[in-house]
Amino acid sequence: MQQTSDDLLFDSQFLAKLEQLYLLSRKIFRGQHRAERKSKQIGSSLEFADYRNYTSGDDLRTIDWNIYGRLDRLFVKLFEEEQDLPVYFLVDASASMRWSSRENALTKLAQARRVAASLAYIALANLDRVNVFYFSSVLGADAGMARGKSQFHKLLEFLKHVPAANGATQLLPALRAFAQRAKRRGLVFVLSDFFDPDGYDEALRLMRYHQFDVHAIQVLDPAEHDPQLRGDLRLIDAESNAPLEVTSDDALLRRYRTEFGGFLRGLEEFCIAHQIGYVQASSAVAFEDLVLRVLRDGVIIR
Amino acid sequence: MTFLNPLAFGFLGAVPLIVLLYLLKVKRRTAPVSTLMFWQRVLEENRRRALFHRLRQLLSLLFHLLIFTLILLALSKPELARFVRTGTSTVLVLDTRARMQAVESDGESRFTKAKRELNAFARHASAQNAVAILTAAAGAQVAAPFSDDEKALQQIIAKLEPTDASGDLNDAIKLANELLASRSGEKRIVVVTDSKSTNPDPKIDFISIGESHENIAITRFAARPLLNSPQTSEVLLELHNFGNKPAHGNVELYFDDALLDVKPFDLAPDAHRVEIFPWLPQTNGRGWLRARLDVKDALATDNEAFAVLPAFVQKHVLLVTRGNWFIEKMLEADDTTKFELLTPDAFTPEMAKDFDAVILDNALPNGFDLGTARGNFLFVKQTPFTANEMLDQPLVSDSDSRAPLMRLVALQNVTFLRSSKMTLPAGSDAWKFDAPLRSFENPLIISGVRGNQRIAAFAFDIAETDLPLRVAFPLLMSNTLQWLAGEKQNSIGSVRAGETLTLENGQRVFTKPQKNTKTDTPLVNAKMVSGAFQPMKNGWYLARNGDAVSWTAVNTFSENESDLRAATVAAKRASHTSPFAKFASWPIWTDLALAAFVLFTLEWWLFHRRFTE
Repeated sequence: MQQTSDDLLFDSQFLAKLEQLYLLSRKIFRGQHRAERKSKQIGSSLEFADYRNYTSGDDLRTIDWNIYGRLDRLFVKLFEEEQDLPVYFLVDASASMRWSSRENALTKLAQARRVAASLAYIALANLDRVNVFYFSSVLGADAGMARGKSQFHKLLEFLKHVPAANGATQLLPALRAFAQRAKRRGLVFVLSDFFDPDGYDEALRLMRYHQFDVHAIQVLDPAEHDPQLRGDLRLIDAESNAPLEVTSDDALLRRYRTEFGGFLRGLEEFCIAHQIGYVQASSAVAFEDLVLRVLRDGVIIR
Repeated sequence: MTFLNPLAFGFLGAVPLIVLLYLLKVKRRTAPVSTLMFWQRVLEENRRRALFHRLRQLLSLLFHLLIFTLILLALSKPELARFVRTGTSTVLVLDTRARMQAVESDGESRFTKAKRELNAFARHASAQNAVAILTAAAGAQVAAPFSDDEKALQQIIAKLEPTDASGDLNDAIKLANELLASRSGEKRIVVVTDSKSTNPDPKIDFISIGESHENIAITRFAARPLLNSPQTSEVLLELHNFGNKPAHGNVELYFDDALLDVKPFDLAPDAHRVEIFPWLPQTNGRGWLRARLDVKDALATDNEAFAVLPAFVQKHVLLVTRGNWFIEKMLEADDTTKFELLTPDAFTPEMAKDFDAVILDNALPNGFDLGTARGNFLFVKQTPFTANEMLDQPLVSDSDSRAPLMRLVALQNVTFLRSSKMTLPAGSDAWKFDAPLRSFENPLIISGVRGNQRIAAFAFDIAETDLPLRVAFPLLMSNTLQWLAGEKQNSIGSVRAGETLTLENGQRVFTKPQKNTKTDTPLVNAKMVSGAFQPMKNGWYLARNGDAVSWTAVNTFSENESDLRAATVAAKRASHTSPFAKFASWPIWTDLALAAFVLFTLEWWLFHRRFTE
């Protein structure tokens, strides 16, 4: 594990703001412990859920006698049970995420880790169970399930230590490994630039197949949107170190922006089509603003 | 086409270097990026445009090769064969005659056009093409010896000026041939003139400038004292219309810059007319006479003429006689003569040098020797040519009216009682004799000239003829004394521009002419010459000889110069009036260098617009 110099600690004022936010989940998941979230499990809460026919062995206390009086038939009242929610953060730690267009500027990975930390804190504050994974071409080690704000330091320690660069972004093998390793379905935040030469669609489709509520947070550097590279250049791929000779001019940059814009639109449209939350987060955007505003705009927090 | 610097083609070896440099990959700046995914997709699309890309590269290479070729050609200094051939010696002959001052229809003089032509050739001067410049007017002059220095030649050309002299180009062509005789390699003469080529020599190129023009000119302008009143002069003026249309105008006569008379004139095509302005009194001024035509034609210099009123100088005559009433009375009556009387005993031949003429009336000194005698003499009766024989009543058989002594003198009816028998001596190298009046084989009057020395001999005694009773007597005496006084009495009043003046001992002439008493600068520091002088501009020239001051008028007075109808029409030269004319005469290498610069600018622009790579 590599010790990073990024300061991932938040001041108490910022943490207090985060506590006010509520993590939204569009689905209700089954939880092992009671939490502040509705689940499909019919339980003992006061929230009425449905009726069903009485069968032998049902608790007689759940029979709705008023219905029996009117219909002369036995129905059992069902109540929803509020449960905790597993929240997973999959942070892309590939070489492309460690690249920055400017010296001493925040890398995409640092931005992703901060976003993951802040969202994890919010989840912990809502009594959800949180786990964090690093991945690149393979799924790395995880922080282990944490519950309650008291466990936040454990996640921070994990996020502080970034694994050594381990190949290029390969979403499919990494997410497939995650699906196999995760015992419970829940919210999955994938924080990546999604620059996978093999594509992102198979991997995200797999997550949907395994019934995860997936949110894609695409972290980008401003120079990837609008590169200012002109002249005779030898471009070096941050992941593969492969060179590419380019004579760049305004026309070529225009075509690049068109191509890049097409990629972003393609990811967004894919996410919408597959009910996957999509948010684009620039590494140039201030961290606090990004958490409080950008994630709110993405309808992840409210 | 000739290349003056063929060594420049050695740089052709650099062409493969250019191509090699073009094939070399550019050193690219390294730039790490997060992913090449999008760049590769963009470049894949670009590769579909690879053909166009290669074409752009090829275009760029072609541009550079073309620019290099143009620079190479400029360095090799190509020249058209018209201007130069390898190892050529070129003599440029510039016509500086008065007619070159004629103004063309575009307002530019022929001389200015000719100088431009000369400059065009001078620009091609180089180590392989030596250029010399001659001027042709009354004679030929070397304005610039053979030189390869273009700037020096152009500076000399800039200082050249037209003259008012007449002349022909043959002297200059001869001098050019002499200059070229010692040169090796190809030889060439270029004559820039307004006249047609008259020389069949193939190595002579005539560049003719100028169109045919009508012109009116003053072809003669002179003043002379009246014979019967030497203190009064008359002025003769001749006008000539060198045109195909009638001309009219006024001729103005100025005397010491003051308008004296104006006469209108009408001249038929190609006609001339003589005007006489009589009775000009002698004054104490400069004696400047100026005639001016108030017409505007192509050549202005012949619309003005200069003359000097003849200076009135009394002849200083010594009469050696024992008494001759007729001659004494005649000399007393002659205002132009101041005489002294001396008896023969008191006379010595050495006295003659103090007088303009000495009359030895029947008094030939003993041992008088013409060979050693100095002075001008009139011998009467006793002459160096007299034998002891006498002629009785000789009859006048021959009288040469063209002789200066016999001008307006009729002696055919004069009765001579007797006369000495003279023998016309055979001419020697020193003396030349003539007999303007004869009685058959016997001369009655003999005139002789030796340099500036003159003598006359009358074979008869005045008193033994009826000559004193006739009008011819004072005329004969006046003519004789006038002729004996010679050059002193007839100082050079007028010459043509280009003629050489032989100056007297001690006489010096200012080389700058004067034309106006009010505007001309004083001749304080002006250059003076002595010995001989060749004035090339019209005007009055001041001559000094000790305290004596005299003026000489210089004029063109040449039909050849004034008749501009024979000029060659050179329509093709009309292009010189365009603003691009001067560029057309530039050497080819400047055009090539200019083209290379334009191409370089175009390539730079295309490169920055990404039309080329």
